[in-house]
Amino acid sequence: MDKLLKDKKAIAVFVLPAFILFTLILFIPICQSIYYSFCDYDALTKPTFVGLKNYKNLLIDDTMKIAVKNSLFFLIYSCVTQLIMGLILAGLLTNIEKGRNFFKNVIYLPCVLSSAALGLLWMFIFSPKLGINQILAKYGIEGPLWLMDIKNYIPLPMWVIAFVALWQYVGQSMMLYMAQISGINKSLYEASYIDGCSKVKSFRYITLPLIKPMVATAMSLNAIGSLKFFDLIFNMTEGGPNKKTMVLATHLYEQGFKYFKYGYASAIGTILLILCLLMTFLINNVFKTENYEM
Amino acid sequence: MKSKKITPATILIYIFFLIMTVIYLAPLLWVFSVSFKTNGEIFTDPFALPQSIFIDNYTFAWTAGKLGIAMVNSLFVCVITLLLSMFLGSTVSFAIGRMKWKISGLVMVYFMMGMMIPVHCVLIPLFTRFAKIGLSNNLWGLILPYLTFSLPTTIFIMTGFFKSLPNELVESACIDGCSIYQIFGRICLPLSKTGLFVTGLMTFVANWNELLLAMVFISDDNRKTLPVSLSKFVGPYNTNYSQMFAAIVIAIIPTILVYSVFSNQIVDGLTAGAVKG
Repeated sequence: MDKLLKDKKAIAVFVLPAFILFTLILFIPICQSIYYSFCDYDALTKPTFVGLKNYKNLLIDDTMKIAVKNSLFFLIYSCVTQLIMGLILAGLLTNIEKGRNFFKNVIYLPCVLSSAALGLLWMFIFSPKLGINQILAKYGIEGPLWLMDIKNYIPLPMWVIAFVALWQYVGQSMMLYMAQISGINKSLYEASYIDGCSKVKSFRYITLPLIKPMVATAMSLNAIGSLKFFDLIFNMTEGGPNKKTMVLATHLYEQGFKYFKYGYASAIGTILLILCLLMTFLINNVFKTENYEM
Repeated sequence: MKSKKITPATILIYIFFLIMTVIYLAPLLWVFSVSFKTNGEIFTDPFALPQSIFIDNYTFAWTAGKLGIAMVNSLFVCVITLLLSMFLGSTVSFAIGRMKWKISGLVMVYFMMGMMIPVHCVLIPLFTRFAKIGLSNNLWGLILPYLTFSLPTTIFIMTGFFKSLPNELVESACIDGCSIYQIFGRICLPLSKTGLFVTGLMTFVANWNELLLAMVFISDDNRKTLPVSLSKFVGPYNTNYSQMFAAIVIAIIPTILVYSVFSNQIVDGLTAGAVKG
């Protein structure tokens, strides 16, 4: 039996096709991309090594500053709001019996829909003459230009897009927390009620500590998701007006595939990669806990 | 806690979730209702039901908007990716989850790396490489990266499934003289159908919605996938709102249908994929 399970040839047959594919499509390109980020490289020239030039240019690039600011805003906003809303939704949903599945499925629905399509849909809802402003106009209120008002440091469109992102993806966090909560032993709660705990208190002292590992998982998914954020922004504002809603991903797309500055775009990509790895590492360390007996 | 008493708190919770339901469904219902209106009706009577069902919006989006072709392309790409990722993913998972070799853990880490890496980082090298070997503007040029980025989740979930199968099964198959390929194909794989199904659904949904890669790699109108054609059709240069709304509906209806049939499995897959992560 062991001989069968240690069959080197079979292992190679099973693993190699995917391994080769992975290496060709993911591993080598990442190395190349990091190398390109140190090169002068565009659609017409071959890559030539120039050291840190691209990174130095990034430092003085105004759009990059906006992109970093907006991406960090997204990162923080989505980590915080998804944690809070996800926990509230999950906590409340586990308290009701009837309709739990229905509400759960409704809130999770946008997660499986195309964010390109939803971005367009919300663009219409927040457009100057349709949707929300039509409702407001009925009551004689002139609605703001939701996706064009760029006065503030974090402009209004960013808040709107962040809201849409929360609307679309909070179902995922909720689902993960619910899965974890349903795994908690019911006797813990019963014991706490006998001891005179209120529901809110038992949530604070039993549920919260026990779902901490899931908070790490959900939050790193959120963090990576918000750094990669592209579809919604691209379809709601395309980074405009005046590049005020650019994020790292849209900046990379524009530099790489509108202006064909491959080397420069690769530098943005490398920064994105570093941020993703850093956030995963940070979050998993902050929320690392000893495993409780459940 | 089996008290059937309805407390004020429960009522508040229900009111809260009813409001949430409205926030979640209203936009979808709105786009649906507007898509049947004529363009004039949108401004004169925005929130009423359409006066008559105006199908022309759909036919226009389907043909002139090229959403019909895009739908076929999307289906082709997603189905092939789905089948390949199920096959490649489950063979790797079987080798990692059931077979005994020293570096299996390391190989697992190598594949799991893909979960943390954003697709943006490989766009440029892949784009330039694919242009050289004739894979740009080619649906296979989408299938390969889609497959690669679907594999980590598939492998993660399927390895869990293979590991959870009872040892006795494999042992008795060995004694009966099964080869390792038979153990995989005839015994372990059929028993992990649920996992396969769940990962398949997730792969399908993720790739069906993918925009960035498809936009970069495909510029030929007849090869575009649904999210790309949609984003192109619906834009600032188009002023016929009801046609654009019809296009949005066309793009989201397939996933809504899939979701309403398989929502429980999709949810299971999501949690299975993350609980032990």
